[in-house]
Amino acid sequence: MSRYSIWILEFANVPNYPLSGLVYGAHNQGTRRLPYCYVLIKGQGHVAMVDVGYNHKAYGAVLATTFGARDWHPPRTVLAECGVTPEEVSTVFLTHSHFDHMGNIEDFPNATFYIQERELSKWVWTMSLERRFRWMMLGIDPADILRTVDLARQGRLVSVPGDREDVLPGVDLHAAFDTHTFGSMYVRVRNDGAANSKDPWIFAGDLVYTQENLRGQDPQDPEYIPVGFASGSQLQLILTTDEMVKRVDGDIRRIIPVHDDTLKERFPSRITQDGLAIVELALADGEASRVG
Amino acid sequence: MPELDDATVAYVLETRRGFEDLRQAAAQLAGLLAMEASGARSEMPQHPLLAAAQELSRDAAESIRQARVTPRAQRHHDHLVHAAEEMRRALTAARRSLAIDPILRPLRAAYTELEGASRELPGFEMVAFGHGCCGLAGRKA
Repeated sequence: MSRYSIWILEFANVPNYPLSGLVYGAHNQGTRRLPYCYVLIKGQGHVAMVDVGYNHKAYGAVLATTFGARDWHPPRTVLAECGVTPEEVSTVFLTHSHFDHMGNIEDFPNATFYIQERELSKWVWTMSLERRFRWMMLGIDPADILRTVDLARQGRLVSVPGDREDVLPGVDLHAAFDTHTFGSMYVRVRNDGAANSKDPWIFAGDLVYTQENLRGQDPQDPEYIPVGFASGSQLQLILTTDEMVKRVDGDIRRIIPVHDDTLKERFPSRITQDGLAIVELALADGEASRVG
Repeated sequence: MPELDDATVAYVLETRRGFEDLRQAAAQLAGLLAMEASGARSEMPQHPLLAAAQELSRDAAESIRQARVTPRAQRHHDHLVHAAEEMRRALTAARRSLAIDPILRPLRAAYTELEGASRELPGFEMVAFGHGCCGLAGRKA
């Protein structure tokens, strides 16, 4: 019996993304469709999300015209497919501080946001460095920092120093320092509520982009391959990947890379009128399917 | 966006660094406020962030003041001048105290001016999109 209903909701996509950006060293191996998604977790009296996407007002035109991002839709439209409004979202877990994961904070006026303290403090540290270190600021939006100040003043920002269990009942945060970013984290939902869950799901942020990061490119001879972009270390990415795999008892199907376009083929799903995928991972008691 | 004349292209090249420095100074000051407001201090930067923001902002203001402005770039330049002025106000307030409101108001105004500038001419992005979850997709022709 699932405690939470869980959906992966696409809100935009890039049709042709180089595989080398997703899988370390996969040069000249073509492109993939890259969906931008966030996760909706609903149950036990809570409506939570993992990441909130990017702010189209600020970046939409640049992303569309420069990088080919398309089909962006606002959270109000995307969440409505699951019968939820942005105002109902009470908790958001920010896996890391890149603009496409935390750029839409303003659309969730009633949510409390959780982020690793190290992500914030190292974020600020990089800003104090000389101009020649600016590579480490890529993907970070100064406006997100201003929004973060507002959240903190309103008492809606929780900076988490490392792992934290049962942030919501059966929902744990796990720090993944010096991986994709300085203070990334992943979210584990123990959907049966048990300490040694037989029904765990991990939402990996950008710690993994595709199944290849979890099993390599030869299914007969699995290996971990880090993602193609990280400001931390490849070693830490691999060690974190192994940690995540252990937390789902080796069932890598339960580690969800939100940028993986194959999710919609591997789980129950449907495509909305707007051309966006909804993937249904779990349904709590009494919840109607949104993909049936 | 229509094609730019040569003089305006030169203006873009001349002011881009100042724009980026103002953007960075705004981010530094906002970062300082975020740390202050959130209590995320276990790894407070050892670097003098406020001093760095002041230096960047001062240098940016000077380079913007010296730019050779074309008619096509006038509105852009106005935004940059206003952004530099608002940053100066924010930093002056920050030197007195890290009380958030007196800093945040001009800081927001500076950011809004930078956003305005980014819409006026190509080559002035508020987020460095070079890498990460979008940048690797490669620029469209």
